[in-house]
Amino acid sequence: MKKITGYKNFGLLVGLVGLLIIAAIITPSMYSPSSLISMLRNNAIFGMLAVGEMFVLITGGIDISIGSILSLAGVVSAMQMSKHMELPTVVWVAVGLGVGLICGLVNGILIGKLKIVPMIATLGTMYIFRGMSFLVSGGEWLFPHQFTESFINCAAGKTFGLYNVIWFEVIVLVLAGVFMNVFTVGRRIFAIGTNVESAHVAGINDGNIKLVAYGICGALAGLCGMLYTANYAMCSYTMGEGYEMTAIAICILGGVAITGGRATIDGVIIGNLMMSVITYFISLLPGLSVWQDAIQGAIIIVAVLINVSMIKAADKRLLKERGALI
Amino acid sequence: MSGNANAPVRDLTAKESFKLSKFLVKWEMMLVYILILINVALIINKPGLYFSRGTIQAIIESGMDLSMLVLGMIFILMLGDIDVSCAANMILSAMVTGLMMDAGLPVILCVAGGVLTGGLCGAFNGFFVAYMKMPAVIVTIATSMLFRGIVKIVLDVNVLKNFPSFYTALAWSDIAGIPVAMIAFLLISLIFVLLLHKTTFGRRLYMIGNNPTVTTYSGINVEKTKMEVFIIMGLMAGLASIFFVGRMGGGVSSTMGTGYEMDAIAICVLGGVSTNGGKGKVYGPIIATFIMAFLIYTLGLMGVDANSRKIMTGIILIIAILIPNINREFWAGLKLKFVYNNNKNVEAINIKTQNEVKILKEEIAAIKKNADLSADKKAAKEKECLDKIATLQKRCKETTAALKTEQQEDNAAAKKRFAK
Amino acid sequence: MEDYILELKDVVKTFGGVTALNGVHFQLKKGEIHALMGENGAGKSTFIKVITGVHQPDSGTMLLEGERVTFRNTQDSAKMGIAAIYQHVTAFPDLSVTENIFMGQEIKNKLGVYNWRLMTKRAKELISPLSSEINVSKPMSALSVAQQQLVEIAKALSRDARILIMDEPTASLTKHECEELYRIAEELRDNGVSIIFITHKFEDMYRLATRVTVFRDSQYIGAWDVDKISNQKLIAEMVGRELSQMYPEKTAQIGETVLSVNHLSKEGYFRDISFDVKKGEILALTGLVGAGRTEVVQSVFGIMKPDEGSITLEGKEIKINSPIDALAYGIGLLPEDRQIQGLVNELPIYENVSSASLKKFQKNSIIDVKAEMLNAIDLCQKIQLKAKDIAAPPSSLSGGNQQKVVFAKMLSCDLKVLIMDEPTKGIDVGAKNSIYEIMNELAASGYAIIMISSEMPEVLGMADRIVVMKSGRVTGEFDIKEATQEILLEASLMNAKKEEA
Repeated sequence: MKKITGYKNFGLLVGLVGLLIIAAIITPSMYSPSSLISMLRNNAIFGMLAVGEMFVLITGGIDISIGSILSLAGVVSAMQMSKHMELPTVVWVAVGLGVGLICGLVNGILIGKLKIVPMIATLGTMYIFRGMSFLVSGGEWLFPHQFTESFINCAAGKTFGLYNVIWFEVIVLVLAGVFMNVFTVGRRIFAIGTNVESAHVAGINDGNIKLVAYGICGALAGLCGMLYTANYAMCSYTMGEGYEMTAIAICILGGVAITGGRATIDGVIIGNLMMSVITYFISLLPGLSVWQDAIQGAIIIVAVLINVSMIKAADKRLLKERGALI
Repeated sequence: MSGNANAPVRDLTAKESFKLSKFLVKWEMMLVYILILINVALIINKPGLYFSRGTIQAIIESGMDLSMLVLGMIFILMLGDIDVSCAANMILSAMVTGLMMDAGLPVILCVAGGVLTGGLCGAFNGFFVAYMKMPAVIVTIATSMLFRGIVKIVLDVNVLKNFPSFYTALAWSDIAGIPVAMIAFLLISLIFVLLLHKTTFGRRLYMIGNNPTVTTYSGINVEKTKMEVFIIMGLMAGLASIFFVGRMGGGVSSTMGTGYEMDAIAICVLGGVSTNGGKGKVYGPIIATFIMAFLIYTLGLMGVDANSRKIMTGIILIIAILIPNINREFWAGLKLKFVYNNNKNVEAINIKTQNEVKILKEEIAAIKKNADLSADKKAAKEKECLDKIATLQKRCKETTAALKTEQQEDNAAAKKRFAK
Repeated sequence: MEDYILELKDVVKTFGGVTALNGVHFQLKKGEIHALMGENGAGKSTFIKVITGVHQPDSGTMLLEGERVTFRNTQDSAKMGIAAIYQHVTAFPDLSVTENIFMGQEIKNKLGVYNWRLMTKRAKELISPLSSEINVSKPMSALSVAQQQLVEIAKALSRDARILIMDEPTASLTKHECEELYRIAEELRDNGVSIIFITHKFEDMYRLATRVTVFRDSQYIGAWDVDKISNQKLIAEMVGRELSQMYPEKTAQIGETVLSVNHLSKEGYFRDISFDVKKGEILALTGLVGAGRTEVVQSVFGIMKPDEGSITLEGKEIKINSPIDALAYGIGLLPEDRQIQGLVNELPIYENVSSASLKKFQKNSIIDVKAEMLNAIDLCQKIQLKAKDIAAPPSSLSGGNQQKVVFAKMLSCDLKVLIMDEPTKGIDVGAKNSIYEIMNELAASGYAIIMISSEMPEVLGMADRIVVMKSGRVTGEFDIKEATQEILLEASLMNAKKEEA
């Protein structure tokens, strides 16, 4: 198993190294430890969002409401924090997670139980959550002086020389990796993504599994919302717009099959790093920041092309193995 | 196996007769009712405003900037695909027109340039979706970033202000009280109605949307058809730029028109076009376009802000998708669950009894009408039938009760057995 | 009564108006191998899905050791010791063999954490007696169909079942593998496992079973001791009439060669396939399921692209890149699965009929609906399609009539060659007969017909010439005069010369 995974993501690794080399040639300044750390910090939230999105993509679905969930959970936790400053920060982490989880479960019920197409269901909830975020915040912004220190430290503080938000990402990645590889429910997410019919025959209820996948995705987006406000000491209902696209892009770069059933956590990690390098690289070059969106769009297209052709090549390889049996 | 296996082939060229009752409960008619309802609500709330000059025109005009995207989106959804790049495409087309105007080119060239840019962008999407077999969602998400990104690169924070004068005239003026934009919309809609409902092209769309595999097996070029549809969508986005820029008073910047693609999709879904593909008509979304315009205007008057309207749009979208699932089977399912305890044996015996009772009742009616029989014979026969009904119903009740207890025992046994 | 381990009474199951099981009975004794036989579409597969709890019956009772049971899902039935090997491999192609074996019955701790080590070990133990070539950590999609079948068997064995159901397990196995399977089945029986063995092959039944139950047209026909019923009687019970009445007299004149396929190869599917078909001839392409027959005709029709080889139509070599080309050359395909490949169930019958020949009905690209309808009515009458309303969707028809709609769709094109992939699959006996008559008439009117079929009686009854395939290669070609069931079976089980590339 390990051997195949290693082989599978070899191409991605080559891509990452290639990117690092190109970036190093053009902007050597990128490689100071402090700038690398700040690069990781800025992309930690995207990494966690991508992990959530990955679970949804494995089921063969899609969730484009995570940007709105991030906003709603961030607004709820930060706004409440500014009113109840005496409560410990762990409460707000839980609030963020909880709000996100509820939003994710709403998606899960619409898709898993009421059988609405994922794209449309999350399109609807994307509107709803964003609107609710506005209603909760009343359209107001929060600024650094309204945040408690411990709240900000939760993401922007440092432990062992790394920002806490990076540690959060590491924990999420490890937990997700464990969950999807050795937990029954995690494996069953793969099962329904690769063949729903077979899953039925094996007695697996795909509605429930989808509920779990969308729930996890929502909860992670909620956590990201709370961490986002803490990381930037800023909160408005507009935050996280378009983040779902970046998360999906990371997954695609990381070799997650959009058709479902195939994904590896190391692939998503590499995808996240690739995206980090690209965005950071662009931000370093003067005058290039307006290119951000166009480049990201182009990257997704290229990544999907590579993704599709990689899956085709893998299928062909398997077919060849079968051909030897004839 | 079917009950009518031996029925002769009827002459079927005769068109199905028009049934008013059926017509009135069509989805499109539902939309008309909703539209009327909103109007009535508006009249009751603000009669003075409603009947004052220009209000209705203003409402309709406010909805027309989306109309072109809606029309294009109908075809895309019909395929079972989706295009979330159309708003970005629209802005890109507008930008091209604006830049050409700035360069001092003739107006006609500038407009054509904009529309063709739209078509080109559509072809770009279509190439990846149809020929590279990439999922439309992902492709158009990416191209949406790409198109808008290009506008950002070119315009940065500048605003283009130099547009043909007829743009604003189209969006804001009316002929004899009828908004020009609406006339244009209805005319173009007519073309779409013809395309989808009368031509082989439309038939191909329905086939692909319902079952692309069968379509391939039927010797139809699925890829080419998809490509054509995406090009049409692109051209419509190009046309939409005319309405949009006019509506915006003749200016365009890179941040305008965000979320328009979602509104267009929501209108299509509300109009009865299934996102699974292959279902729906052009008429529905046309009516839904007006519904949305009136709804947003009404909500605006009632002091509901833009973001709450977003919530409304989301909820409408989800409800509009859920409603078609609420059909006879849905009710039968609910009845099975709550009335018959999820026991199909009970359902079967009940339905069987109901049918038998119905037949007996018809028999009674026939007996009553029968002139050949004397009065007491009639009464005797009627009584016989009524007795039969009574025994049937009694037996049904008994069996139901027996089956229900049996089921309860089963469930208890199953619980005990599988608890291990 | 007490010695029945499993008993089903009056089981009814419908799917949206189509009756799949109509009051069937079944009795299984402890420690016996019980054959369940019947034609395709007789309801056998649905029946086992009812036993295993995939489907819940609409009505009827199931007794397990005399006690009434209801299964909510397959996990319930698995807990009661019922396991099944399904006919269509129900695998997760992207997951490993180990996971495929244990999906739904994972070895895990209380938290739901997999014990990968133990599972891999168990999987190896289960697989190794069946096949030495299968690597349990490979994804399922890397295995051949026969190997996947073996994994299915291992999966069922892993359940420690008291009752084991095998749905046509030998359909795609070699003779050697079959023997191995018989041995396993007998060993299990001797250990007290009761086995329901669904099969088409009389060979399987005589070799293994002591009792046989027959279903026909979703109904229970009867149960007999295997040694007390003659072969003729059994066939008659399965088919519902004498075989000789099933197949019409041949009336076609066989003419020139129309289509010939030369050395067609496709990596992973088939290799070096050659055959030709003449005007008015019915050529049967037979062999076991998974032998690559469907893939060959799909390559001729342009759905798949062959790696090597050529196709000649009336002496001229032609290039077929898509079904568009194939239909333009006059080659039509009646696909294997009419629900997925043949019919658009959401569109009316007449639109389905004209869907492959739309160009005929357009004037300035506007569809002439009247001409379309008239054409549909005309064709429907020709092939005696019984429909109440041609504006209704095909889903309102029975299986046989649905198949006739696909026939009409193909006849609406101007064809020279008509390829039929399992034309009578899932069709009741009466309708089968009329489909055979249509085939006969088409041949008589000059069509060259290629028919894929797994049913030996059908092949022997209808074909003029027979090509047998095994594992992607042609293993024999016979004239109808020299062909017998035994010869064909032998050819379809024969190991082709292994000339590995």
